[in-house]
Amino acid sequence: MRHRMTMRALALTCALAGISACDRDEVTHFRVAKAPAATPAMPAGMDAAADVAPPGRPPGGGLRWTLPKGWSETQGGSMRYASFKIPVEGTVDASVVVLPGPAGGELANVNRWRGQIGLEPLDEAALAAARKTVATKAGPLKVYDFASGGASGKRLVAGLTEIEGNTWFVKLTGDAGAVGAARGDFMKLLGSLRVDESR
Amino acid sequence: MNRASRKIWDTLTSLSLTIVCLAALMVLVVACTLAQVRLGTVGAVALYMRSWFYWMDLGSFRIPIFPAGATVGLVLVVNLVAAQVRRLKLTWSKAGIWIVHAGLILLFAGEFVTAGYQTDAQLAIEQGQTANSIEVPREMELAIVDASDPAVDDVYGVPERALARGGTIPIPGTPLSVRVREYHRNAQILRGMTGASPVTQGAGAGLVVQPLPPVTSDEQQDLSAAVVDVMAGGASLGTWLATNGLQQPQPFQAAGRSWTLALRPRRVYLPYTLTLKKFSHDVYPGTDIPKNFSSLVRLVNPTTGEDRDVLIYMNQPLRYDGKAFYQASFGKGDTLSILQVVANPGWLIPYISCVLVTLGLLVHFAISLRRGVRRAGAAQEKPEQRAQEASA
Repeated sequence: MRHRMTMRALALTCALAGISACDRDEVTHFRVAKAPAATPAMPAGMDAAADVAPPGRPPGGGLRWTLPKGWSETQGGSMRYASFKIPVEGTVDASVVVLPGPAGGELANVNRWRGQIGLEPLDEAALAAARKTVATKAGPLKVYDFASGGASGKRLVAGLTEIEGNTWFVKLTGDAGAVGAARGDFMKLLGSLRVDESR
Repeated sequence: MNRASRKIWDTLTSLSLTIVCLAALMVLVVACTLAQVRLGTVGAVALYMRSWFYWMDLGSFRIPIFPAGATVGLVLVVNLVAAQVRRLKLTWSKAGIWIVHAGLILLFAGEFVTAGYQTDAQLAIEQGQTANSIEVPREMELAIVDASDPAVDDVYGVPERALARGGTIPIPGTPLSVRVREYHRNAQILRGMTGASPVTQGAGAGLVVQPLPPVTSDEQQDLSAAVVDVMAGGASLGTWLATNGLQQPQPFQAAGRSWTLALRPRRVYLPYTLTLKKFSHDVYPGTDIPKNFSSLVRLVNPTTGEDRDVLIYMNQPLRYDGKAFYQASFGKGDTLSILQVVANPGWLIPYISCVLVTLGLLVHFAISLRRGVRRAGAAQEKPEQRAQEASA
């Protein structure tokens, strides 16, 4: 009798485990209103480069940098490689995102950034004219600086480089005034980039 | 009961088995803690605690080399139940021990409930934004959405386990089915040589998928990829690459309707909405040291008529609809709040267990105290009796 009770308890446990496993195998169906704001926001920074999310820490070399004085790295969600807290007034956001391969290409990404601050897309010739190159220990970094005009406008400073098949985007964006105040330190951070094989 | 059964019964009810199980648990806890460095919390707990055995790879073979948490827990529960049934008499004098045992058994049972039924999801929401769904970041789904209706979407989610199993998966209630050619939990997506890519449709046309080992660290995320044929009425419409790397769903037309296809973290829609009214990140004056993170959210549930504001802050989650919404992280210059959403039907069990164990110990202590006082009284009475008898 006692044995039977123990066996029943075991069977019940196994049955519960089985039911919970089956639930996760079935195709689910939801009917939801087309609410534009209903989609959960991706963790911070996913506007950065784009249509493609980062694959987490890439195999091989990671990127390292030296934080400017007063800056700190913050936890901005698992989709970002890094985020920064910047001691300036106003809305400003700085991030590092890494994507596999060319991530849609330089022209597409730059034009997407321009679109985000209300600017018209560039062609290849204009892209080359807008590009500045910063020498870093991680290799040459292509840097762009765009502003949508006026003190209340938006501004974006971003650098991109390719390391071992991954494209890295380091981006500073926000209100023109705030970005302008943080730009000097941001350029120092770009200049300090280096490859760290241990990450 | 024959001799073999008696031996098994003796082993099951022995205190030695309890000690062995507790020792095994200590080994597992140490190994699991150390493994978190290379596997992350989730990976280490899954390997050492939420498995039946710890396996070792020997070439193409895998052999179990140590019982993992599930096995040890189950043996311990069986041991406790069996020992209780065999040794403890159902008397008032043993009531405390019965309650303590019941509490311990409930504690282990609660862990099985948690392992089997707990889901961890995330809600990332910006100030002013309203959300009606949460995402399970460690489970993917292939979302196929019938977007033809201007007012509502029919969202079908093919779970990751079905994708990993492969084969043809019908989408119930639609003329569609998907045939899974490849699914990889983590992958690298590369531009293939001409003709090397099976992908003929959508944003992934011409790309090839190279499998990678899944990431283990808590801070990393897999780039999952599925290569699927979409079928309508038995005919293939082409081959798509779906990956959580693509943020935009890929549109296609089938059976006279407009659809989209995307691989994304499993999404669970809620019958209510949460609007983030304000996220606060307070620091100690003059420092960057965080003092408090809090999210003021507006909860609107049309089915119950609720419309109220709730403040979620550290260790003060919103418990609603069987879920607990904890303040977990933030971003975007303190305008984005990330809430951890935990649904665990057994969340109360550990609390009840602790209460039962405490109560049982108190009852047992009270019974022992009463017995001790009575014995002391009896011991005092005896010399007095002898003295009286001697004087008489």
